[in-house]
Parts: sequence; structure tokens; C-alpha cells
Amino acid sequence: MVLRRQAGAFVEGRVAVWGAMRVPDFQLLFEALPGAHMVLDRDFNFLAVNRAYEHATMRCREELIGKNLFDLFPNPGEGGRRLRASFERVLSTGKTDTLAYIPYDIPRPASQGGGTETRYWTASQTPILGEDGNVAFIVQNTVDVTDLVRLREAASLPFSARSGASELIEHAREVEEAHRELLAESDDFRRLFQQAPGFIAVLSGPDHVFTFANDAYLRLIGGRDVVGLPVREALPEIEGQGFLEMLDDVLARGEERGATGASVLLQSGHDQPLEQFYLDFSYAPIRDGEGKVTGVFVQGMDRTEATLAERRQALLMAELNHRVKNTLATVQSIASQTLRAARDMPSARRDFEGRILALSRAHNLLSERQWSDAGIRTLVDNELAAHGPERYGLEGENVPLNPKAAIAIAMVLHELATNAAKYGALSSDSGKVSVNWTVDGDELRISWHETGGPLVEAPSHKGFGSRMIARVVDGELGGAFDCDYAAEGFRCSLTIPLESYDTIEQDNERPRQ
Amino acid sequence: MNDHGNELKDIGVFVVEDEALVALNLEDMLADLGCRVIGPAMRLARAIEFLETAPTPDIAILDVNLAGEPVFELAERVASRGIPIVFATGYGRAGLPESWHCWPILQKPYTMEDVAGSLKAALGAVART
Repeated sequence: MVLRRQAGAFVEGRVAVWGAMRVPDFQLLFEALPGAHMVLDRDFNFLAVNRAYEHATMRCREELIGKNLFDLFPNPGEGGRRLRASFERVLSTGKTDTLAYIPYDIPRPASQGGGTETRYWTASQTPILGEDGNVAFIVQNTVDVTDLVRLREAASLPFSARSGASELIEHAREVEEAHRELLAESDDFRRLFQQAPGFIAVLSGPDHVFTFANDAYLRLIGGRDVVGLPVREALPEIEGQGFLEMLDDVLARGEERGATGASVLLQSGHDQPLEQFYLDFSYAPIRDGEGKVTGVFVQGMDRTEATLAERRQALLMAELNHRVKNTLATVQSIASQTLRAARDMPSARRDFEGRILALSRAHNLLSERQWSDAGIRTLVDNELAAHGPERYGLEGENVPLNPKAAIAIAMVLHELATNAAKYGALSSDSGKVSVNWTVDGDELRISWHETGGPLVEAPSHKGFGSRMIARVVDGELGGAFDCDYAAEGFRCSLTIPLESYDTIEQDNERPRQ
Repeated sequence: MNDHGNELKDIGVFVVEDEALVALNLEDMLADLGCRVIGPAMRLARAIEFLETAPTPDIAILDVNLAGEPVFELAERVASRGIPIVFATGYGRAGLPESWHCWPILQKPYTMEDVAGSLKAALGAVART
């Protein structure tokens, strides 16, 4: 039904004929209704009033039509607030709203003595929808219950019984208040659930249709609009992951199901990539008044961050164990090699300690840099510093080396330095060692050059040092080691390919902080 | 030094180990056991190349992790030639996929007796199949 916006008239003509049946003129019908009725537009301006309404408000229609309700009957108090709220509910919900009991003062016309008259009303506001489905008009039916209220007041005097009518009004008022409180409480609960830190959803019926999903739940599924949709349709990616079967089971058996740290792949929307989540969750049956299971209450926590952190920690522990075992194997080898080559126990002890300390210093350097890398200059400096700065010269950039290369090169440098101190330039008072290095394309080339020491002779047999250096440089680092026992001073060069010392390639091997 | 009879005498052991010092020690142990060392190879690519060109070994000792690369690609090739395998690792059995659990594991650090025992176990495993 579309109302023509015409003051005081809904239809033109006095009688309409539908087929053979005569129907009353609705304008006349409206006028004749015994209850007070009026029609407002969306801004609460009067469009139409009937005679009963004129009578109840002590105003004729000419005074009312086109005027705003709240201008004509201002009410800053509770009555005005509640009436306005009722209209707003009608506009927003499109549903009839009833106020069982509302005090609303009416200004008395000057002709009737002026001032205001305290009145009590029961009012129902009914929407009339326009073609677009929105509320176009509001029809209000009011009943002036002032007399009944007066009766009630009278009845509250000592020794008098309440009339049935006043009891009814009182009851209606209480019911309405209780209803409003319930609504407000229900709103509070809804908000509480909506904002709860855990995710919550309510599924209804055998297809598990979403009837509620809170903010945390929506965040989990990328903000998809799921309310009103069956789970299978709302979250197609969970098909085959076992959750639908669990939901069916909860409905069928009425028993709670759930899991901790369950892995689930979710999309943030249609055509989006699957993402891994870890959830603690429970599916609890929802029962109606008769105990029949009608739906599933879903709640849980997104434990993805915590689960990944736990896994990283477990990986780190395994990695740490691996490193410790490997380091012990290295130490075992150093001990064994040192003992095999030693002339006597004191020299064995000295050599062993020296090598363990070289390993330890390399670990320290790496530790300071969170095991990301160690610079070559720092490594060389570390090995030669004990001999005094005047005994050695270094030249080259502080090229970063990955942990494996840093430890290997530190052990090599230690053997070279020990050798220089025992037999070479550092065994005399004035000899010097110069170490320089360059990066040449994909290779790091380190040159070790001793001068000013005793006359050099090539050793008669290969000891642990030279064997170890050859293994480390040729084997472990895939490079080349060349040495020259020139009479005026020992010199050697280490050539190491970038792939062996590069700090990027081994990034995944070091423990993270 | 060799208390292990002739069982391990002169057998060719292919050594794949990425830590030079650990490799050196293993070489010494194997020499003491009377074995012939083939290798050592310290990187995966080099080890695969070695397997193709060097004389066929009687058995292989494979470090599970070669500078961050798992050794299993090489292990497949070794196994497909019917060569028994001993896996050396700091991780223990947990660091090895189940499909390789049929071969003995040498948990680092290990002694010469451990090496001898695992070599015999691996050779025995092949003899049984």
C-alpha cells in the first residue's frame, strides 16, 4: 500500500469499488476509529490525525498537520526520550514498537486555561513501508490511560483496594520495563561476545548455518561475511580437514568435541592463498527447551603465534644439541690428533689448550655477532695479538665470514701462528708476520708472509698442523692451500671460494635470537 | 691396534664428513681398524662426483648434514648400488627420516669401537638381505 502524501487524505473519492464488493472509504474509516490515531513522516511531522486524536490532544487538525510532533509537544523528560527512542526503533527495525505506559504532558490551549496537563498514555507505533522497503510513515495509536493511573494513585491510599484496571496498567508498565531491561541486557551480552578475545561462532541446524560470529572469529577468516551461510559454503576451504565431520558428530551425539593446537588451513577470502593456523577450540552442543541439540557453539583461541614459537624453540633445541655434539666431536678430534703427534705430555697439554682456546675465541667472536658472521681481520688479529702489535701487520677489508668458515679459518690461522712462534718469524726477537687478503671475484685470497726469522727449512714430515690445514682448506672449504718454505721466510696462501664463506647461504643454519 | 680380526681389514670405506677435524679423526680411526679410506668428501656435490669416479667402496659413512645440505640424495645413490651405509650425525636417530632407519647410526662424538661396531652392523644388514 502506497500512501499519497496528501494532508488529511489517503485516497481520493469517498467510495472505492473492488469488483462487485463495496468497501468503505478508508479516510472515513480512519476518522471514525474510536482510538486516537495519527500518521507521521520520517521526520516526525504530522501527516494525518483522526478525530479521537484531536480530542485527546486538545488540538484541531489545522494546528497539527505539517508540524513536528516534538515541536508541538516538547518533552525534555523521560516521556519524550522514550517516545523518540520508540520511533527510532521503528525506523531502524521496521517493526511495530509499543510503549505500554508513558507519561507525556500536553500543553493546554489558552482557550482551556493554558499551562500543561499531565497525561499517561499507552502508545503503539507501526511502520508503513514504502516501495523501496524502507519505513515511509509511522502510524501511532495512543490510548489515554490517565484516568486509570489516577485510579491507581487513589488506590495506593491506605485501606483502599486497587481497581482491576489500575492493576492491569501497573502490570503492563512492569512488563514493559522488564522487556526493555532484557533487551538492554541482551545487547550487553551480545557486545561482550562480539568483543571477546577468543573466537566465538554459533551454528544452527544440520547444515551448520552461521547465526553469529564475533570479531575474533571474523579476523580469523579474513572478515568474510558468513552469517546466514552454511559452514560448507561460508568456508569452502575447510572441506576435507575433518571439522565438518566433527560438527556433524556434535549434532548427532550431543557431546562436546574439540582439540588443542589443531592445524587448519584457512583463506582470507575467495581465491586467496591458504594460510596455516593453529587453534585451540571446542564445539559444544546447543540444546533447546526439550534438550534436543539444535546447533553448535564454537569457541576457541588462535594459537598460531604461540605454536610457531614453540616449534621454533624445539628446532633450536635440536639444532643446539646438534651443534654441541659436533663441537664435542671436533674437540675429540683435536685431542686425539694432538696426542698422536705429541713428543711429550707437557707439549701435548700446551698444544691441546692452544687449539681449544683458538676454537673458543672463534666461538666468542661469532657469539658477539649472534652467530651471523665474523670478520677476517678480527680473526687474524685474535690469533696474533698475543705476540704484540709490532710483530705483525694486517692489510685488507674486514670481510665477513659465515660461522663454519670462520671456525675453520680460525683453526688454520692458529696453526700458522703456532708454527711461526715455534719455528718461524715469531720465534726470533725481530721477525714479523704480514697477513693480507683480497677479495678477487668469487675468491678470498689470504697471504701469510713471514720475514726476519731464522733460516727456514722444509719440515721432514707432515705434522698435524699441515695435515689439518690441507683438509680444512681443500676439503671443508673447497679451496686451495699453497706453501713455500723459502729460506728467508715461510709464506703461504689460502684461496677460498665465495660459496664457502658467503654469509647469506648459511643464514638458515644459525640459531635466531 | 686392530682387535677386530680380519672382518674390516682392507675394506674400502667411503667417508663423507663436512667437518675437516672430525673427518681427520675418522680417517685415523679407520686406518687403525685396517680399512682403506676413500675420500673424504666434504661437500655434497663433490661427494656425488666422487662416487661416480672413485673405485666402488665396500661401505659408506655418511654425515647426515653437509654444510646445511641433507645427505639423502647421495644416500639414495649409494643404496641403489647395494653399498651398505652408516649414518653419522649429531642429531641421533630422530634426525633421520624413518625410511633410513634400517641403517646403523653413529652418534657424534663416537669412539673407534663405535665405528667398528656400526660398520659390522651395516655389513651384516646387507648380508642378511
